[in-house]
Amino acid sequence: MALAIARKDALAELRGRHATVSTLFFAAIVLLLFGFALGPDSARLAAAAPGLLWLAIVFAGILAVSRLHLLETDDEALEQLALYPVARRAIYAGKALGGLAVMLVLGLLVLGAVGVLFAVDIGGALLPLLLTVILGAIGIAAVGTFYAGVTVRLRAREVMLPLLMLPVLAPLLLGAVKATTAALTGDPFGELASWLQLLVAFDVIMVAAGAATYGYLLED
Amino acid sequence: MKTRILGFVAAAAIAAMAIVSLFVVPADLNQGDAQRVMYPHVASAWLGYLSFGVTAVAGILWVWKRDLRFDAVALAGAEIGVMFTAFAIWGGMMWGRPVWGVFWQWEDPRLTTTALLLALYVGYLLFRRLTDDPARRATRAAIVGIVAAVDIPIVHFSVEWWRGLHQGATIGSPSRMLNPAAPMVFVGTLLGMLAAFTLAWVYLMIRRYQLARVQMAREEAVRLERLAAARAVAPRASTPAPRTPESTEAAR
Amino acid sequence: MPQTIYVSPRSLGAFDERPPAVVTADLARLFAGSPALAGVSLRVDAGATVALLGPNGAGKTTLLRLLATVIRPSYGTARVDGLDIGREPELVRARVAYLSHATGLYDDLTARENLAFAAEMLATPDARHRVTRALEDVGLAGRADDRVRGFSAGMRRRLALGRILLGSASLVLLDEPYAALDADGMALVDQLLTAWRDAGVTVLLTSHAPERLAVTIDGSVVLDRGVVAETRGNGVAELPSALDVPSATPARQVVS
Repeated sequence: MALAIARKDALAELRGRHATVSTLFFAAIVLLLFGFALGPDSARLAAAAPGLLWLAIVFAGILAVSRLHLLETDDEALEQLALYPVARRAIYAGKALGGLAVMLVLGLLVLGAVGVLFAVDIGGALLPLLLTVILGAIGIAAVGTFYAGVTVRLRAREVMLPLLMLPVLAPLLLGAVKATTAALTGDPFGELASWLQLLVAFDVIMVAAGAATYGYLLED
Repeated sequence: MKTRILGFVAAAAIAAMAIVSLFVVPADLNQGDAQRVMYPHVASAWLGYLSFGVTAVAGILWVWKRDLRFDAVALAGAEIGVMFTAFAIWGGMMWGRPVWGVFWQWEDPRLTTTALLLALYVGYLLFRRLTDDPARRATRAAIVGIVAAVDIPIVHFSVEWWRGLHQGATIGSPSRMLNPAAPMVFVGTLLGMLAAFTLAWVYLMIRRYQLARVQMAREEAVRLERLAAARAVAPRASTPAPRTPESTEAAR
Repeated sequence: MPQTIYVSPRSLGAFDERPPAVVTADLARLFAGSPALAGVSLRVDAGATVALLGPNGAGKTTLLRLLATVIRPSYGTARVDGLDIGREPELVRARVAYLSHATGLYDDLTARENLAFAAEMLATPDARHRVTRALEDVGLAGRADDRVRGFSAGMRRRLALGRILLGSASLVLLDEPYAALDADGMALVDQLLTAWRDAGVTVLLTSHAPERLAVTIDGSVVLDRGVVAETRGNGVAELPSALDVPSATPARQVVS
């Protein structure tokens, strides 16, 4: 069931290109602006790179999840979706999977872009960096899908989505940036594992919370 | 009536503790008089967390029992919580300036966690205002409140980790005061302040809850009135006789 | 257009043995403080085809949406096949099909893909065959692999009707089924109504064109300003309301 929904979203996404392309461009623009704002000292930029990486991913991620839910405003499709005899958890899982796919693509591309733009050696720490991106993507997809569902029918949705989502994402942001920094500096304090554990815990808890409560959003 | 007494007692308790914390308790050796702010600061922070716990639990109870009184409790908890949390942050900043030299310190886990707590619940309150229908508003608020509450422990642990993996505790950390090795007079004053603030908290929660109930009752009365008005105005070909036990039987 | 439309077989039982399909008691719903439905107490018999008539703003759409469990009641209760819409909405949803003004179709998917998705969601047995059959039945077989974005309003409605054919509802709720349809489309709706009647499915539909309906319906209810103005024919009856007794307070789904 969840896979069916994710597949449907992927199909609609590929055809309509709602979310992915514009989100990627947005992330690229954000990175460029960071360069302008904090540069031109390359050493300073390289030191700030982990933070910039995740800020760009989070901001672009907000756009991505909101556009995925916007898909359901096609002729009140969300209403119809809620009427099927499908478990609410499955609807959440389906939409979150779609969000995850977008976030993974986004995360990997932004990682590459940061490596290029801010002269950061990614190849040296590829495995932990990939792991961090994957865990971060899961967390953003889980939280973002939930709040996108919460705000999709609200009057002030463009502002409410980031307003509600960002404070909740704070620990994820912290963990991801710290893990990235640790990975890039060769993990001198041995803290990489701890931060990754934090990300895993965050992901598990948020997915559970989202799945349990998403159903109540669909009732009116 | 009982609530009013409670209010007086709470006010008196706070006044008493204020005097104690300002004049009776000796100043801290390192931090001087600035440390006195810690008493209300810690008490407020604790009550801020408690309030939001109440909001989350009340939200769960609403979804379970569908009784709007729980939603009134949730609203009260969030508003009172925002109040205490904002005060706690302000107190933290007032303490920080003389002790650290700056208003804000990123290395202090509690300050950061409390700031995020405030952000989460201001978001909750703003979110509430966007829905008119009482039942729908209660459900949506409950969900947002629950997820926010789930996030708080994660925030707390992540920030603790952040500080722990960093270069040890800074001088003048507020947690020094909660150290069991601290002198009894400090701990005693803190507990006293906590008790006084808790009394005030209970009083404020009751009052806010009552206010919310009054507002709900008024909204409800308006809705019922509009309903009755709509029925009175609409044209009816024939009004079936009002339902009585016998006619309900006849209607199969 | 095929002569017989495939409606899911469902063991519904003989007409007179079945309990009423719909029973509402003082059902009311307010939006932003103003009543769209101000207390409706009706009984709709199983297997009947009943029209909901009335001017704009009378509450017809709201009543359908309440029965479809798209929205929850503000006051009052309703039972569909004996199931309470407030307490057991998922069970109600399994038995009800609803066609609204909005079709809930995905613009970027083709007609076939939209129905295939619906079939997965509805757990339709023999899905591929049923989807093809449904497309044929509503006359969209020729456009099956075109994206819905290019469809006219009439074609979308046909596709939405096709989606209903994939389910196995015992109560079908249609909001303005004839709207936006050409002559062929309207004939399709007539065929569907016949097919549903033959299968014993209860149908409740709204319409602004009552003349069209004379042949196909059993009875009708006229709503005006949120209450029942009159009922005519068979299959539907107004029930006594508790609300007109002075000092009555309507039952709430929600305790306050």
